[in-house]
Parts: sequence; C-alpha cells; structure tokens
Amino acid sequence: MLKINNLNAKIKNKSILKDFKLEINPGEVHAIMGPNGSGKSTLSNILSGKKGYDVSGEILFENKNLFKLETEERAHEGIFLAFQYPLEIPGVNTNIFLKTSLNAIKKARGEKELDALEFLNLVKKKAKELKFEEEKLNRQLNVGFSGGEKKKNEILQMSILQPKLSILDETDSGLDIDALRIVADGVNSLRKKDNSFLIITHYQRLLDYIKPDYVHVLINGKIMKSGGPELAIELEKKGYESYN
Amino acid sequence: MEEKIKNDFEKIIENSKFSNKDIELKRDFLNKFIVSGFPNKKLENWKFSDLNQIIKKNIGDLSFYTNYSIPNKLNPSIYIDGLEHNKIVFINGRIEKIDFKYEEKDKIQISDQFELKKDTKVTNSLINLNNAFANKYFKIVIKKNYSIRKPLVIYHTTNNINSKNINLRLDFVLEKNSSLKIVDIFNDQSEKNFINVFYNFELNQDSILKNYKIDQIENNNIKYSFNNIVQQENSVSETFILSSGSNFIKNEINCDLIGKYSSAFINGIFSLKQKKHHEIKTNINHLIDNTKSYQLIKSVLENESKAVYQGKIFVDSKAQKTDGYQLSKAILLNETTEFNAKPELEIYADDVKCSHGSASGSLNDDAIFYLMSRGLNYTEAKKLLINGFLLEVVEKITDSQIKNLIKNMIGLKE
Amino acid sequence: MKKEIENLKEYKYGFTTDVENIRAPKGLNEDTIKFISEIKKEPKWMLEWRLKAFERLKKLKEPNWQKPKYPKIDYQDLYYYSAPKNASSKPKDIKDLDPKILETYKKLGIPLEEQKRLNGIAVDAVFDSVSVATTFKEKLNDVGVIFCSISEAIQKHPNLVKKYLGSVIPITDHYFATLNSAVFTDGSFVYIPEGVRCPMELSTYFRINASQTGQFERTLIIADKGSYVSYLEGCTAPMRDENQLHAANVELIALDDAEIKYSTVQNWYPGDEDGKGGIYNFVTKRGLCKGTNSKISWTQVETGSAITWKYPSCILKGDNSIGEFYSIAITNNHQKADTGTKMIHLGKNTKSKIISKGISAGLSDMTYRGLVDISSKANNSSNYTQCDSLLMGNKCGAHTVPYIKNKNSKSNVAHEATTSKISEDQLHYCQQRGLNSEEAVGLIVNGFCKEVLQQLPMEFAVEAQKLVGISLEGSVG
Ligand SMILES: Nc1ncnc2c1ncn2[C@@H]1O[C@H](COP(=O)(O)OP(=O)(O)OP(=O)(O)O)[C@@H](O)[C@H]1O
Ligand SMILES: [Mg+2]
Repeated sequence: MLKINNLNAKIKNKSILKDFKLEINPGEVHAIMGPNGSGKSTLSNILSGKKGYDVSGEILFENKNLFKLETEERAHEGIFLAFQYPLEIPGVNTNIFLKTSLNAIKKARGEKELDALEFLNLVKKKAKELKFEEEKLNRQLNVGFSGGEKKKNEILQMSILQPKLSILDETDSGLDIDALRIVADGVNSLRKKDNSFLIITHYQRLLDYIKPDYVHVLINGKIMKSGGPELAIELEKKGYESYN
Repeated sequence: MEEKIKNDFEKIIENSKFSNKDIELKRDFLNKFIVSGFPNKKLENWKFSDLNQIIKKNIGDLSFYTNYSIPNKLNPSIYIDGLEHNKIVFINGRIEKIDFKYEEKDKIQISDQFELKKDTKVTNSLINLNNAFANKYFKIVIKKNYSIRKPLVIYHTTNNINSKNINLRLDFVLEKNSSLKIVDIFNDQSEKNFINVFYNFELNQDSILKNYKIDQIENNNIKYSFNNIVQQENSVSETFILSSGSNFIKNEINCDLIGKYSSAFINGIFSLKQKKHHEIKTNINHLIDNTKSYQLIKSVLENESKAVYQGKIFVDSKAQKTDGYQLSKAILLNETTEFNAKPELEIYADDVKCSHGSASGSLNDDAIFYLMSRGLNYTEAKKLLINGFLLEVVEKITDSQIKNLIKNMIGLKE
Repeated sequence: MKKEIENLKEYKYGFTTDVENIRAPKGLNEDTIKFISEIKKEPKWMLEWRLKAFERLKKLKEPNWQKPKYPKIDYQDLYYYSAPKNASSKPKDIKDLDPKILETYKKLGIPLEEQKRLNGIAVDAVFDSVSVATTFKEKLNDVGVIFCSISEAIQKHPNLVKKYLGSVIPITDHYFATLNSAVFTDGSFVYIPEGVRCPMELSTYFRINASQTGQFERTLIIADKGSYVSYLEGCTAPMRDENQLHAANVELIALDDAEIKYSTVQNWYPGDEDGKGGIYNFVTKRGLCKGTNSKISWTQVETGSAITWKYPSCILKGDNSIGEFYSIAITNNHQKADTGTKMIHLGKNTKSKIISKGISAGLSDMTYRGLVDISSKANNSSNYTQCDSLLMGNKCGAHTVPYIKNKNSKSNVAHEATTSKISEDQLHYCQQRGLNSEEAVGLIVNGFCKEVLQQLPMEFAVEAQKLVGISLEGSVG
C-alpha cells in the first residue's frame, strides 16, 4: 500500500529524514517511536503533502507517485493525517467543515454526496461511538477545544472519512485513560484487511490497546531498528540511549 | 508675517558666516516655508493639532531672528545630578557646550562643516523653516565598533527670550556596530516661544540607538520635535518620550527600516495635569523583509488637557515577514479632557503580522473598588492604579540607570 | 449584447435589457432638474428644495481626500434621468409592467409576479431612475406600514417627506450628497407607525440598465416610536466598458424605542480583470437615532463596484441609543474600496459597535476609514471596534485609518485591528481533509467573515456567503 524509498527531507538546509525506508502492506499497523525531534512529524507532514520541505526519493501509495499529488488529492486517495497539533480555524463551524470535507472526498471518488440529513445521522452515530459531545460540533473548528477534545475530534473525522491509510501523530498525547480507550476503539473498528495505520507515539500504553504488527525506532531521521510489539516494551524500559 | 520673516532672515545671514551655497539653499527653504506657512488642521498630519492657530493664540507674532554670534552664559545648576554624562548644551538655540569627556577622543567625531542638502527625503514646512533658520548644525559620528560609555545628555535651555522662534538641528551617524545613548531634555526658563527641533539619525549595520526624550519641566512654550531615523541591517532604535511639561509639544518620529532584521521600539507617556495639548506622531516604514516595530503609548489626562496619538505603520510589498505592533491607552480623569487617536495601518505585503489597538476611558471602577476594599482610600487607590498603568511603559526602557532617572522624575520610585 | 452575455460566467448579472427609454437631455443644469421634477409631477416645494441643493452644489468642490482616485467625472456628459418608456408612470398593477422588465428581475432572482414572490419579503424594484414595482403593498397596508417609491411618497405623504427628507443628510452636506439632493430620481420610502413590528423584510432592488446614466436614488426610512423594521438592498448592473456613477442618499430615522436594521448586499459590476468599466459607488448613508433607546444597525457586504466609497453612519442623539456597523468588503482585480463608518455619540449611555472585515486580493486596494467621536456630553458611552484585514498576495493593499476622539472621561473607546493572511497551516489542514485550495480559502474566508454574515437576514446570508466565495475566485494559487 505505502512504499517509501530513500526518502531524504530537508528544511532550511537542515537534513531531517535521511534515506528513510518503510513499507506498509494493506491491513498492517505500524508504530513509529523515537525521541523528540527525530523527524516523526516531518514524516507525517510529508506524507500528507505539506509544502516547505526539500524532498528527494520516492513515495508510492497504491503504486501512485505521491509527489505528483496535491494534498487534497492524497486525501481523496485515502490518506488521513491526525495532526499532532490540530489547528484552530476561527469562524468555521465544525459540522460544516466535516460535511464539506466528506463530500469533497466522496465527489472526487465519484460516490454520491450526502445530504444534510444523511450527514447529520452519520455524525450523530459516530459522535456517540466516540463519546464526543455533539454540542461541540456546532462550535468553531477546534476553537476553545481542550487538548484532548482536539485529538478526539481528529479521530471522529477519521472515522467519518474512512481512510485507507491513517497516520496518527501522537494522538495519544494528552488523552486521559478513558479517552485513550475510545480512540483505540475508533482505530480498531476501522481496522480491516485493506485499511492500514501508521501510529506515531511515545508511549507503549497506546500499543496495549492497538496491537501493532511492526514497531520501528526512528532516531535522527533514520529507522535504527524494527521489530514486533515486544520492541515497544523494550524501548519503554531502556529508552533510546543504546541507539545513539 | 511675510515681511517680518524675510527681514529676520536677512539679518541672520548678515550676522553669520554661511557659505554662499548654503545661503542660497536657505533662501530656498525660506521661500518654501513662506508658501505653506505654519501647518494647520487642513493637513492630515495636523488634523488634531492646528499649529497655526496654537501659535496665533498663545504667542501671536513671532520673531525669527537670533544673533548666534553672542554666547550665552552657562548655568551648571541645570545639569542632572548623580549621573555621569557627556553634554551638549543649547541655550536659545545656540550650542554653548559640547563635551564628550567620558569617551575616547578618536571614537567620537564632531564637525560643523556640513553644507545643507537640497533634497532631504523627509520634508514638511517646519523642516523647511528649520533649515532656513537653524545655525550651523553639527554632525556627530560614533565610530565603528565603539559603544559610548556614558549617556549623552542634550540640554535645551531657553532664557530671557519671548515670542521667538528657535530652530536647531543635530545629525548623528552611528557607524557599524556602534552604540549611542541620548537623554534629550528640555529645561525652559522662558515663555511663549516656538522651538523647532530636528534630529537626523543614520544607523548603520548592527548599531544601537537609545533615545530618551524628556519634556517634564512646566513651561509655556510651543514645541515641535522631529526625529528622523534611518536603519540599516540588524540595527535597533529605542525611543522613549515623556511628554508632560510644555504648553504644546508635538513629537514626531519617522523611522525607515531599510535593512533586514532592523527593529524600532517607541514607547511614550503623556502625563498632562493642566490645560495642555500634546501630540505624538510615529511613522514606521517597513521597507524590507524581516523587520520589526513596536509602539506603546500611554496617557493620563487631567484638567482640560488634550493628548493626540497618531501612529502609522506602513508595510511595503517587499516587506514580507514584517512584525508590527502598536498600542495606545489613555485614562481620562476629568470630564474636560480629550484623547484623540489615529492608529493607521497601510499594508501591501501579505505575509505580515500587524496589529494595533487603542483604548481610552475612565479609571477602572472595579479595580478602585477592589483596592478600597483592601483598605486604601480613593486617592491612594487612584494613584496606585495610575502608577501601575504608567510603569508598564517605563519598564520598557532598557537602560537601567535612565529608567531609574525617569521613574524618579514622574514619581514612580517605589 | 451577445458579447456581454458570453461574459456572464464571470459576473452573472452583467446582461442588459433592451427597453425603450425616456431620458432627460444630457447634462447637469436647472432644466434637467425641472425635467425630473416635472416628469414626476412633483409639488412645487420639492422642486424648490432641489433647486436650493443645486445652488449649493455650484459652490462645492468634489472631495479628493479619499484613497481611491478616479478620473474626473464629466457631469455634463451624463444622463440624470432614464426610465423605461412605459414605466415612467408606474403601472398600478404588476401585470401591466413591461414583460422585459419582469424577465430582468426574474433573472436576477427577484420575481415580482404575485404567484412567485419571495416569501416574507416585500420588494421595491428600482430600474435605472424609477421604481417599477412594489410588492406586498396591500398586506403591509393592513398594519399601517407605508412602503412605496419615494416619488409616490412625495405625492401621497408630503408631510412625512417634508419633515424628514434632508433631516439627517442636509442638502448642504457634501458634494455627492448635495448632487443627489438636486437630481435624485427615485428610491424607496418606508414609514413604520408607532408600535408596529414590520411583519416582513422590506427590500429594494437597484438595477442600473441604461448606459451613460448616473443613478441617484434616495431612500428614506422612518421608524416611529417602538417600531421595528429590517430592510435590505441589493444592487447589480450590466457589464459596460464605461464607468457609471451611482450616488445614492439613504436616511434613516429611529424615534424612541425604535429599531432599524439596514442590510446591503452590493454587487454592482466591478469592472473587468484589467480594471475597465465598473460602477463608481459613492453613497451617503446616515442614520439618526433620534429617540431614546433607539437602535440603528448597518450590515453591508460589499463585493462589487470598481470604486466603493461609503461610510454608513449613526448619529446617536437619543440617550441609551445604539449604533452598529457590520461590514465585509472584498476587493479583487483592480477594485478599490474606501469604506467604514462614523459613530457620533451625542446622547448619554450611547453604545456603538463596529465590526469590519476587509479582504483584498489581486491588484486591489482596500481602506477601512472610520470615526468614533464621543462628545463631552455623552456620559457613560462606549464604543468597541474590531477591524480585521486579510491580504491575498503582495500586489494588493490594506489600509486601516480609524479616527478616534474621546472627549468624555466617563466613556470608553476600544479599538483593535489586525492584518494577516490565510496561514499555510490552515490551508494544509483543510486540504488534508480533501478540500481543494479554492474551497479551503472560501471556507476560511467565510469563517473570517462569520460575525458579519450572521447579522444578515437568513434569506440573504446564503447568497452573501456564495458571493464571498465567487468574489475571490482566481485569487489563490
Ligand atoms: N519549519 C521548521 N524549521 C526548522 N526546523 C524544523 C522545522 N520543522 C521541524 N524542524 C526540525 O526538524 C526536526 C524534526 O522535527 P519533527 O517535528 O519531525 O520531530 P518529531 O519527531 O515529531 O518530534 P516530537 O516527538 O517532539 O513531536 C526537529 O529538530 C525540528 O526542530
Ligand atoms: Mg512530532
């Protein structure tokens, strides 16, 4: 599904990702762990098509060259990024935003767009599943949301948009135990044989709820070690010291 | 006025040693001034302060003649106590003393051998007047890599004159990586004169200017002070204005940020206790990318006083990544006071952060109530709040010695 | 005509209607004024009033302090009156209206025929110099609301007109207002009687059709004690290479406890991409909160016109009166706008609020200019001003020029202004969720404008939102 070959990324002449390689097959869950500043968010930003990076190498998504696609086209293809720091957009109603987004994606895929009622029913259902207070969806997008609410809002959007590849950038940070479980449920319910996940986290805790198939250690822009779920436990105990 | 001003002008020319070229230029400036006259409220810049009327009402007919060949007697009692400083002393517009005794001789270059220039970039009728009538002006250069050790205090004194127009001018050049600290202070022992001050500052790369302007001693003069600051790469200018003593004063600061990473800070206080009319006008021109400006002006107004703040931030289309911020706040203590503001943004670049704010009104009743509930009486509570209000501006002064000096002057010493 | 229709894609109201016109002879002079007055069968006092304004006009100079400069207007080369031939005396029944005109309004989305009328909105349709139809008149009559053309009001309600016309904008006011007083041709008149809440939205739809014609309309709205009215105006014009002048006067008077809400969606033809053609929209709008507890609220969405130059203002004379100004102004291509408001606080406990959102794109130039003046008698008054600009690209300009005068120590004035651009991060976030850049910009800009859009009556909010998106088309990328 996703194939990253020799990805190099620089910003303002500072090299952040170095010959980065990763392959994710349909249905797989990959976790990336790594110290602050190692390049995790940079990776997710580049996958989502954020501008401002000098990149070389190759990223294929379902055999399509991602560098040739605009951000929104990638979203249409089924890439979803739950941002580490979800943005506030003043004045824009959350529900309206969600509907616009969902219908833009549906339209691009040639599917039937939802009318107001269908959409509302869908949102109601999803919000309930994620224990997200519906009232909040009538507020401005992320404005005045607590840190945890913003993260939950990202997962709500994910479950509504039903992406093929979901990238979760530290979605667990700032969540309380209950919210963590809800988020994990959201992910697990989307976990099907063709849907894949790339989960960026600092804590093994999340991986108790979402069992990854692979765990990678990212240090200084390079994957230093890959393994199964046991690697996360080992990291939690020993830290990143031994990789430096 | 026309005949009088022309006669006075010829008299000055007779008694001075200007070069022929200078005389010609001066005559040019004079004619330009005569055409426009003193600025009045029809000019956007003078909308809130009609100088023509103010001079008419408070002074009447002005005399423009000063005999610069006769020295005035110095009066050392006006010097600031307890602060080691260099000095320039103006008496009635004539330089009586220039003394940089705390500095290395070859690091400060002083000369009066400058010819006027025809096309000054910034111009207005008062600068024309200034150029026409000011005595030989001095240029002071701070040499490369030199930081002045003690502040330079410029004393503006007047005595024994009446209904006179005094014009004076100084030019400063801060060479690369140099720094200069000025305390510009008015000390008037005369009444009803119109004093017109014009400073030019050229800030080269990495240089730092700190410019503290103090008008605190009560007097009945009318003043206009124009400071023009041009800033090269990574230079910093800090201007502080205490506007309090004169009957009328307009401080105008024009700042051209032409070098990247240059920044300009202007902080000002209006503290007007009597029937007075003061104005500050700032023009910040962001002309290249990555420059920064900040203006904070606070006013406390009593008894029929009137304060005006006009602040303009201009951002050229080349000036991406500009950071411009401006705030003015005023407390009106009496029903007869007035605060006028015109905060203005003119922006042609899209990647900028610019904002301004202005607020004026009464003292915060809730705060007064809170303080009184803690045992203070009304007067104490009021004083505490006003001091706190003004302290924020004074705290912006980066030179701690001068910060203390100014705190003392306005009774903020804790 | 054909060519113009091809261009409809861009400015969808750019078509012209082929109707035969009656015109006053070209030129600004006493004869023209007499012609207008005569064709409208005006009483003598009205003609005298016009001539007085004209006398005054001769002594006035065209102002030139505003930021957008325009080529000199040759006032002698304009038609001051143009009306569809068979509408110069307004038909009693809409059935009798020229079908071409009916068709025009239908195309503009304002059907005038009984069966198809917009629900809950009464419309006065002004075509060039005259009002051609007013809908729902009878229903309004039932509650005593007078809604008719100003020409009709001059005939039928002379006392009201005499008392209030020129009472807010005196004939001596300034060049364009005085010009309007001399040559105004039509417009709407509204009177809401004491204690009546007007049962429907009232609206005037202005259409400039004829070429080389200035439109000078005059609107007068009087809300008597304890009454309420919400009024909306819309404007469009055909696409022409020439610049056309629109110099309207709008006067509002709110008596004790009355409230007037005045909304404008201004979409005059803005000129083409190269800045050719378009309307000069030089309008004087002023409201007088005459009574205690009265309220006047202006909302405007200004997206059209080559040059917009207007400051809908409130004179807060009655104690406890309230003035509000909500504005969205968008300029693109070569458009220029200099707009804002004046809040004059005279009475005690008066309050005003100004929310202005300016968006400039392309090569356009936008100025917010406003005055807040708190007089020494206006104790306990307050103003809050929020003034935000958004720039798209670095070939356009945004200018904020507020004048703030506070002469009252018991009153508070607060002003805030920001200038920013749409952040890359916001765009990226929206695009990550599948929106293309134009949709994303539309969404963010609508969010930016939300506080103002919320003020519009429901029926027009949607239209306005679309307009905001369309006006910025092609300005990103
Ligand atoms: N716009 C930028 N300009 C300069 N440096 C940047 C920029 N964005 C990221 N960096 C740098 O790139 C490096 C990688 O940043 P990144 O955000 O990818 O780290 P991360 O692994 O996600 O860290 P964290 O665990 O703290 O979220 C850091 O050193 C960061 O400072
Ligand atoms: Mg990160």
